[in-house]
Amino acid sequence: MSQNDILALLPLILVVVLAMAVIVVDMIVPGRDQLISALAVTGLAAIMVVVAVCGPLPAGIGLLPGAGHQVFPDAVGAGVYVRDQMTTFLDLLFVFIALLSALFAVDYLKPRGLPMAEFTATLLFAISGAMLLAGARDLLILFLGLELLVLPGYMLAGYAKRDGLSTEGAVKYFLLGSFSSAILLFGLALVLGYTGSTRVAGVAGVLADVAAGSTTLAPGLAMGLALLTTGVAFKIAAVPFHYWTPDAYQGSPTPVTGYLSVGPKIAAFALILRLFVEALAPLKADWVGAVIILAAVTMTLGNLVAIGQDNIKRMLGYSSIAHTGYMLVGLAAFAGAPAGSVAEQQGLEALFFYVAVYAFMNLGAFACVSALQRRPGVTSQIGSFAGLGRRAPLLGVAMTLFLLSLIGIPPTAGFFGKAYVILAAVNTGGWVAALAVLMTLNAAAAAFYYLRVVVYMYMREAPDPAQGVPLGLFTRAGLIISAVATALSLFVLTPFIDIVRGAAQALL
Amino acid sequence: MVLSGVPLLTVVTFAPLVGALLIALVPRQREGLIRWLALTAAVVAFVASLALLVDFRPDIAGFQAVEEVAWIPAFGIEYKLGLDGISLVLVILTTTLSAISILASFGPIKSRMKEYLISFLILEVGLIGVFLALDLFLFYIFWEIVLVPMYLIIGIWGGANRIYATLKFVLYTLVGSLLMLVAILATAFSFQAATGSWAGAFDFEQLRTFGFDPGLQFLAFGAFFLAFAIKVPMFPLHTWLPDAHVEAPTAGSVILAAVMLKLGAYGFIRFALPLFPQAAQEWAPAIIVLSLIAIIYGAIVALVQPDLKKLVAYSSVSHMGFVTLGIFIFQEQGLQGAILQMVNHGVITGALFLLVGVIYERTHDRAIAKMGGLAAPTPVYAAIFGFFMLASLGLPGMSGFVGEFLVLLGTFDVSPIAAAIATFVIILSAAYLMWMFQRVVFGELSDFLRGLGHHLTDMTPRELLTVTPLVGLTLALGVAPGLVLDLIAMPVTEVLARVAAPLVGAAGP
Repeated sequence: MSQNDILALLPLILVVVLAMAVIVVDMIVPGRDQLISALAVTGLAAIMVVVAVCGPLPAGIGLLPGAGHQVFPDAVGAGVYVRDQMTTFLDLLFVFIALLSALFAVDYLKPRGLPMAEFTATLLFAISGAMLLAGARDLLILFLGLELLVLPGYMLAGYAKRDGLSTEGAVKYFLLGSFSSAILLFGLALVLGYTGSTRVAGVAGVLADVAAGSTTLAPGLAMGLALLTTGVAFKIAAVPFHYWTPDAYQGSPTPVTGYLSVGPKIAAFALILRLFVEALAPLKADWVGAVIILAAVTMTLGNLVAIGQDNIKRMLGYSSIAHTGYMLVGLAAFAGAPAGSVAEQQGLEALFFYVAVYAFMNLGAFACVSALQRRPGVTSQIGSFAGLGRRAPLLGVAMTLFLLSLIGIPPTAGFFGKAYVILAAVNTGGWVAALAVLMTLNAAAAAFYYLRVVVYMYMREAPDPAQGVPLGLFTRAGLIISAVATALSLFVLTPFIDIVRGAAQALL
Repeated sequence: MVLSGVPLLTVVTFAPLVGALLIALVPRQREGLIRWLALTAAVVAFVASLALLVDFRPDIAGFQAVEEVAWIPAFGIEYKLGLDGISLVLVILTTTLSAISILASFGPIKSRMKEYLISFLILEVGLIGVFLALDLFLFYIFWEIVLVPMYLIIGIWGGANRIYATLKFVLYTLVGSLLMLVAILATAFSFQAATGSWAGAFDFEQLRTFGFDPGLQFLAFGAFFLAFAIKVPMFPLHTWLPDAHVEAPTAGSVILAAVMLKLGAYGFIRFALPLFPQAAQEWAPAIIVLSLIAIIYGAIVALVQPDLKKLVAYSSVSHMGFVTLGIFIFQEQGLQGAILQMVNHGVITGALFLLVGVIYERTHDRAIAKMGGLAAPTPVYAAIFGFFMLASLGLPGMSGFVGEFLVLLGTFDVSPIAAAIATFVIILSAAYLMWMFQRVVFGELSDFLRGLGHHLTDMTPRELLTVTPLVGLTLALGVAPGLVLDLIAMPVTEVLARVAAPLVGAAGP
């Protein structure tokens, strides 16, 4: 391996090393949950620094701006794995998601006697899969990254193995997940068979001819496109391929649910970006319609069903489906715009912006649920939130902030995310602009069920008002980090926009 | 330029926020300190808003004291505040009534004073910001910031049916405002597409001389109209208002009526008319009809209300109908009257809600049927109530008269029929107000009130302190409306000039 390869893969290698270190430490001193958390958190923080140093970032932000690093470059200089600005951005995000998940997990798992080390190691392996997806430029590597991401996810979902709901959710997640992976693999095989290349650049090259009209869209390729769309729709939990989500989310231990709602979802979007935006971009006129319909149905149905939920985890599960819809609007803005236009790039920027914002606010919301459930026996029914504003002021304020951000009330981060997506959609125009209008109506409908939680926290009395909710040190730290990121994003918008812009330019 | 160099607009806007942050640091047991901090922050904002008058030049067109800092250069979004006569008047109205409302809250609010005052001060930041923002994105942010604290104030400290009322309030306003966000982004994009640069795409001063494509104008005006009409509120989008008013605590009702309803009217004058003049012309006849319906409907419904607060709430619908009528008649006296009416309605209705709060404090009831004969046990209260009742029905010599009169004058100039319909309603408003007053204040002391015994005290010094400035303002503006009219003359001319000669289709879609 050349120095270039090592630089490109270093963050990935470090995450795997950290996972193994966690296992080894647990073997030497078993049962020291706090120590494991501290190790994981410091390790992940260090890896974030490494990512920021190794990876290219926009000038003025990154320490070592550069064009990026390719692994095993071929004749045209395109590697099977690339560390470009998109990889850097997504890796930072994934590592941060893992860091927050590790912070939030310990106070929930420990009282339930669930082992922390196994959780942490599994989580890190999953994250390494997500990071592999972020930079993969080969169909096989993409599939490898995907499986590396989802297999530990199935384990995490069924992690509370004596809990019937957890097992049920995990089995559903596993069955539908494997099924969708198979469909995706079929699609990849058809694309490979037609284009004769597994390299993303090679596929795009062949498909450019199809788009230019010199060759027709063969039925086999159309079939492959349909299978790929279905496969990724399962992975991001777009309607009507979302049925595994509520059960898996409700059954999993709450910190796992938090991770599942952001990690695999954003990683699946990384897959979409590498697969659809890079490899299949020449055919985007053929798949934009599907994305528009998926976006419209996903956000609307997700929100409508979320309104009726009395279980917070289920409610947040359906709401995360709705947010998938908003992200798809960003993708539709890219796909609906003419190639090479500003609107095209803005769609991708909006998508990047939104997934990052979503990661913070959704993880934060789940962290509040998990902090509330620290004492075993506290359910995730909405009634558990009654009087929380008085019983645990910090938790109440943090949860309110995350919910306001999920609605998209300014000046929280969620608002800027929504505004970016709407702006991109309006720029693209046509049916995508109609999606923007639908999105705002959805946001208003979503306000109803998010605010219902605020109603319980502040406007109803607890059955037992004296009962406080003690927060552990790690949970407190994680809540403060994500709350500050959600509340004060308005001061760092310019560098953040530069980063997502760099990531989007890397793709185009 | 006595105060040059001081970013006074920022000080006015964010003084309450500083107060809120300080309060957040104080332990909740020290309620005295918390109250003192809140009142100080509100008074600082008030004094700073008066200081704006020092350097203000009513004879200059355009905006003054402009503060401009780049915020999101990638999209040309700026932190930009500026002042003209209309915003100046409304900012002073806001700071005055906010300080009064905070003072008025000290008695009625019994629990969670700390959270209450933090919410209230953040609400004030949003309200002032809306009146000063000159960047459309910034304007939208302030516009939405108002929503959350009001939601909490009604939902936590409100009456029995508060949760229904507060959710209704939020959902109504959110639907309108989110569509406005789409319209703001669409206009910005249209500007960017035409000029090739994002610079100035959200800057109101640039956008208002731009001249949007008529098709875009029509749609964008529709979205702005929805947001503003819900806030005003215009018939038939007013149904959240009675619920919110009835359930809100007294100070919440005061701010809701006195300032929040003005946000919509201000939005029409500041943004909707100058940005989309052609669409405004097309929409105006329908809006005038809706205004007339609101004027009549509000008055008739107020006539039959059994609840004091609901009566005042529906009278607001009627009075705000005059405001939208004055705006969309596109005539100088009409628009001047509309703005004056906004101020008057703020002062008078604010005072009426304070007075309803005073009686509610003592009786824990607002049913008109249970009242009667208040004149004997509470003479001071009865006198002040009578004063504001007369002011509300538009007695000459008080401010309510001048505003309505100017609106009617302007309307008559354009459409005598509309003026006739609106004038007829003044009789109705006299009827519901005087009838209410008669039932509450005159006659025998009702059994219900007699049962309260010595609890039925007259107004306390604190309560008197809250209404006295409003009495003064009502008289001052009634005798010398020029205080306001001189300030708003120039911006009114500018707005009407834009509507009369719309720049059309200077740019593409």
